[in-house]
Amino acid sequence: MYDLYSFSKDIVDLILWIVCGILRTVLNINSFCDWLESDNVVGVLVYIIQAVVIFAAIFIVCLTMIWQERKTLGRIMDRRATQVGPLGYFQNLADGMKTMVKEIIIPDSADRMAYDWAVTIVIGTGVLLAGMVPLSDRFFLADYGTGLLIIFAIFSLAPFAILIAGWAQNNKYTLIGGMRACAQMISYEVPMLMILVATVLLAGSLNINDIVAAQQDSTWFFIPQILGLFTFLVAAVAEAERIPFDLPEAEAELVEGWQTEYGGMRWGLIMLGDYFRGYVAASLGVIMFFGGWDGPYLPPEIWFLIKVFIIFFGMIWVRGSLHRIRTDQILNIGWKRLLPLAILNLLVVVTLKVWGVY
Amino acid sequence: MSKLEYMDKYPQNTTTKGFILKGMWVTLKTMVRTTLPGRRPMTIQYPYEKEVIPDNYRGRPGLVMNKCIGCGICAKICPTTCIEIIEIDHPELGKVKRPQVNLGRCMMCGYCAEYCPKDAMVVTPEYELASYTRKGLIFDPYELQWDAVPGNEVHMEEVLASEINDPNAKYKAYYDLDRPEADDSKCIGCGRCAKTCPASAIEMIVVGKNEKGKDIKRPKFDGDLCVACEQCVDVCPKSCIELKEVL
Repeated sequence: MYDLYSFSKDIVDLILWIVCGILRTVLNINSFCDWLESDNVVGVLVYIIQAVVIFAAIFIVCLTMIWQERKTLGRIMDRRATQVGPLGYFQNLADGMKTMVKEIIIPDSADRMAYDWAVTIVIGTGVLLAGMVPLSDRFFLADYGTGLLIIFAIFSLAPFAILIAGWAQNNKYTLIGGMRACAQMISYEVPMLMILVATVLLAGSLNINDIVAAQQDSTWFFIPQILGLFTFLVAAVAEAERIPFDLPEAEAELVEGWQTEYGGMRWGLIMLGDYFRGYVAASLGVIMFFGGWDGPYLPPEIWFLIKVFIIFFGMIWVRGSLHRIRTDQILNIGWKRLLPLAILNLLVVVTLKVWGVY
Repeated sequence: MSKLEYMDKYPQNTTTKGFILKGMWVTLKTMVRTTLPGRRPMTIQYPYEKEVIPDNYRGRPGLVMNKCIGCGICAKICPTTCIEIIEIDHPELGKVKRPQVNLGRCMMCGYCAEYCPKDAMVVTPEYELASYTRKGLIFDPYELQWDAVPGNEVHMEEVLASEINDPNAKYKAYYDLDRPEADDSKCIGCGRCAKTCPASAIEMIVVGKNEKGKDIKRPKFDGDLCVACEQCVDVCPKSCIELKEVL
């Protein structure tokens, strides 16, 4: 199969052919060219090219999602939204430029090391996660056996960094925001994992390729676990800290939540990181319930992205319609509603599996 | 109020049924309505497209140069005193008095157009008046000029306070309510009122001869031409003219 690895290898071969050709014929340097063309160096170069391609792809996807969110919210509110560029697509780039040239203000009382590193972990895990989600069976960086489990593991790293970030800024709003983020994300992690267990039971594997292949063989998994789909979407919105579960950055109560003291491009990157996490949440839903890249006629990557955008549209729709959930209800919903639903879903799946339907 | 009482009192309360779905249905309807081909959101892209404004929109005041007689009623009635009557040298009309408006102070109330006896002051639909200097905001009569279309004039008609409860009361324009009257015993026949009158409604009439054999002149007011601008009252050296209500 002509996958991303072969594509990157072709590009590297082309570049090496040009560079080494010039070096050999014009400058007559042979030993350096031999080193360049050795297997190890070529392998490293191929990985670099692959990473760049993947990052560019997810970056463009996330920009499109921000654009989609702003446009859809605008129409929901009976107004026009972004204006810069064709259909307002370049507004995000303009905003990025704006945040980039802003002054960086760091509070005196902040703990510099934690202040810098915590936010780096938050953003970094977001980007790493987005890079780990395969767009199709030929567009991925690495095909690892425990796919979904690793994604969930890294997904749940962020709350700790957020707690540290909120603490390090030495501000009451950030501290409360960090605590809320931590409590909320840990409690919503559990139902999500229960649903992951159900999906893995159905597919018989943790590998993303195998899960999608299992759905191609039988039906898409939202049919047996419709309860799980509902629970997962609610928990995913909460995990991505989006309205109506945006308690950690409730503007009305805590200035900007745990991000209050971050300014300039740091804040811009935090915002971008939020959308990376939103993309991961939506794409996990696609992989686990809607057959991943399964679909006729169009290329699988396009199918995957279409499904992601549709699920993300649901998130935007909820954001435009609902108000923020009360602070004292948030853990109740997580532990008393979603967790029993997830366990019920697991029971249904186990029953189906025992009867041999799937 | 307990929860049940509250629900009895407000049966249409959102918490009673479909409280999440209702809101989502509303937003979905709005989104479809604004996105369908041929439909659009309420917002207007201001610098590129402008709102459709009615004919009688009250933007900056405009002046019809030929109709104006320079009576100064607009300057008197202006609540912000932004109108000043200045003398200009017009190529066709000669030396005439015309209003000049300081738009930095103007509040676009349109009173000048309402009270203008000759419909020379009109309201224009122009509202983009920003300027780089304060001087640029002071519009002289030439800048104020406006080709009036029907609908730009504003008429205001009043009913007398004494006739407010009378169903047959006649509505009259401001300039039809009062007319000047001269006190013959005080008048010295100087004729300044006749020279000043912008509507040329005053004529000096010879009523007799004095002991030196010179004509004794007295003003005669033409009620049809008079616009009750009070300029004769202001200019009279002996304060013998005053405005009296027409009953």
